[in-house]
Amino acid sequence: MQLSPLANPLATVAQLETSGSQLDGIPADLEDSIRFASARLTQAAGALLRLPQEVIAQAIIVLSRFWVGPEGGSLAEHDADQVSASSLYLATKLSAFPKSARSVVNVYAYLDSLPTTFFEPELLRQHKKAEEYYVSEGTLEKRRMALFNMEQQILRVLGFQLQTSLPYILSITYLQALDVFSHPRASELAKRTVAYLNTALLSPQLLYLTHQPPCLATAAIYLAAKEIGVKLPDVEWWEVFDTDREDLGFVVVGLLSVETFAAEEQKKWLGRRVPLTVGGLEAELGMRRNLSEE
Amino acid sequence: MAGASRWADDEADKAEDARRKKEKEEKKRQKLAKQQAEQEATARAQQESSDRPAKRRKLSASPEVENAKPAERKLLRFEAGGWGPCRHVNNFETLNQIEEGSYGWVSRARESSTGEIVALKKVKMDYKEDGFPITALREISMLQKARHAHIVDLREVVMGDSFDEVVLVMEFLEHDLKTLQDNMADPFGESEVKLLLRQLTSAVSFLHTNHILHRDLKTSNILLNNRGVLKIADFGMARFIPPPHAPLTQLVVTLWYRAPELLLGATEYDTSVDIWSLGCIFGELLHGNPILPGANEVEQLSTIFRVCGLPSEKSWPGFWRLPNAKSLKVPRDRETRISPLREALGLHSRTTNTGAGLLEELLALNPESRPDADQVLRHAYFKESPKPIAPEMFPTFPSKAGLEKRRKRSPHAPRRGDAPALAGKDIDFSNIFAGREDEQKGAGFRLRVG
Repeated sequence: MQLSPLANPLATVAQLETSGSQLDGIPADLEDSIRFASARLTQAAGALLRLPQEVIAQAIIVLSRFWVGPEGGSLAEHDADQVSASSLYLATKLSAFPKSARSVVNVYAYLDSLPTTFFEPELLRQHKKAEEYYVSEGTLEKRRMALFNMEQQILRVLGFQLQTSLPYILSITYLQALDVFSHPRASELAKRTVAYLNTALLSPQLLYLTHQPPCLATAAIYLAAKEIGVKLPDVEWWEVFDTDREDLGFVVVGLLSVETFAAEEQKKWLGRRVPLTVGGLEAELGMRRNLSEE
Repeated sequence: MAGASRWADDEADKAEDARRKKEKEEKKRQKLAKQQAEQEATARAQQESSDRPAKRRKLSASPEVENAKPAERKLLRFEAGGWGPCRHVNNFETLNQIEEGSYGWVSRARESSTGEIVALKKVKMDYKEDGFPITALREISMLQKARHAHIVDLREVVMGDSFDEVVLVMEFLEHDLKTLQDNMADPFGESEVKLLLRQLTSAVSFLHTNHILHRDLKTSNILLNNRGVLKIADFGMARFIPPPHAPLTQLVVTLWYRAPELLLGATEYDTSVDIWSLGCIFGELLHGNPILPGANEVEQLSTIFRVCGLPSEKSWPGFWRLPNAKSLKVPRDRETRISPLREALGLHSRTTNTGAGLLEELLALNPESRPDADQVLRHAYFKESPKPIAPEMFPTFPSKAGLEKRRKRSPHAPRRGDAPALAGKDIDFSNIFAGREDEQKGAGFRLRVG
């Protein structure tokens, strides 16, 4: 069977119903928090490594695939930050922009030193001396091996299914097809569309594992056009892009809910880091137990 | 990243781990049973509802309402499968070794549960440097994308007990063109060559339209089954066509099939390097033996120039700008009007004028003069008599891969490392055609130099 180059492998119902972490007794809300934080960690690390967004997006999709399903990885066994680092390393290997294990390790060491897991772009843009965060050769050797070990784990859990098809270019093609580029605010519209596609990467509903790129692109355009005030055809134009009303509605609602979710997360973890290691997670669970006993 | 130390585990922890693991397994099983029960329930419910002439359904599906609505528009549905963990390699039982490829060992095996015969390719793991080998990762990724009738099918990737045992499970084909030709008394007939070349070119065209460069096309990488179907294998050197002006390694393609621009150190090249290899394979099919067997890079170039003629400013304007061209002494003024190729290879006895013409086009020194794969498919050669043979009429042969270990005589694909440097040494080609008079004239062909 010739696979469509526009399609992604999607998670099955069984994979979406539960996860290795939930089977290990990790509360679902904590799982969501950690997944959300590790997707943002990947995004921040990718930005610091000067990687194109396509490579970062692939890494986030890979790590999302890793954490779902009863046979997926469990947060009780694997450090979330390590999974993020190895996913990003894998994605760069398949791209035209390979990065050395050393660069990846150093960037994650820097992000690990920050007091928060909500990386504001301003925070990352501050010019600090990068050398101050370089790890020692001994540490590097240990972390390199950890990076490679987790890489193998990811490959095993995913059965080497790293294929990702992304909706970025597709959305621009759709905008062209909708003939909106003559509009004075067209470039704003395109930017918002891409921003929504990036938002989808962070969705706790794992939109990239449940919907195909044409549907994601259509929903992003729908929302961006509403927001910017660009009028789209009065007919059911989304069907031209093979998206039915129901799927469109689902993704639109999913995209809109990310903002509220993110704000709540930020409030919930104000002044502390989301635990991104097995040790940190155990401490968090211990603290929760103590609170409920009191 | 500094997680809880794995080394601090004591006996109690191990027992605890085992207990947890067991519990998890139990939960997984229960979950699965529950899902199955639910699926059955919904299936039953659906059946019931379809059995029942339900009143409720009338509301939405009555003919009047349906007529009032516009016809349901059909939307495309995209499929790309899903994912699950790798299976264990012990699902397969190894039968015999086939060969050692550019980065792994290939063997013939049987899947225990189905009895199906497959080819297993074990990835050579050297992951101390960069983790999982990037070449293997690329090959897997290419094969997953390149599903085509004439490209070998990657079924799955399995793993062994130890972490670094990774095995590609691929369909098994009885022959490779190299071994097959080595064991044939006469080369293939022309209609057979046409069938093979057309299948091969259609696969190359598919790869190129999907932005994949194979970079190691050669007869030992081309498989053939007993039903006359050819498939390209070994994507260990393949990669996606990078953005323009990204430097590529010129250390690709096995020497005898390597295009002259690669030998001359070009760091920017394109699909035309595969077309050159295609030409070498076409010539080899007609001839019965590799047509450009150089012993090293320098000799390879001289072999190419002897067979295909010398480059000139007119036929290959970019030639002198290539990194290694500076160290060559090629007579600049000499204009070889007639390509020596037909005589050098004795083509008149092996193919028609059209066939020889196609080979000349494929083996054009200037990469920009070579046709693309689609142009090759439309070439008059495939339309003139004799027509390509039907695959089902293709002769069958005893399979070496299925019975015994292969011999290996062609040089390996280049390994990662230093690019070949012709520079520094002065290589003189000015006498390349000299002294031919002294050579024995036989076998019906003679080199004539324009």
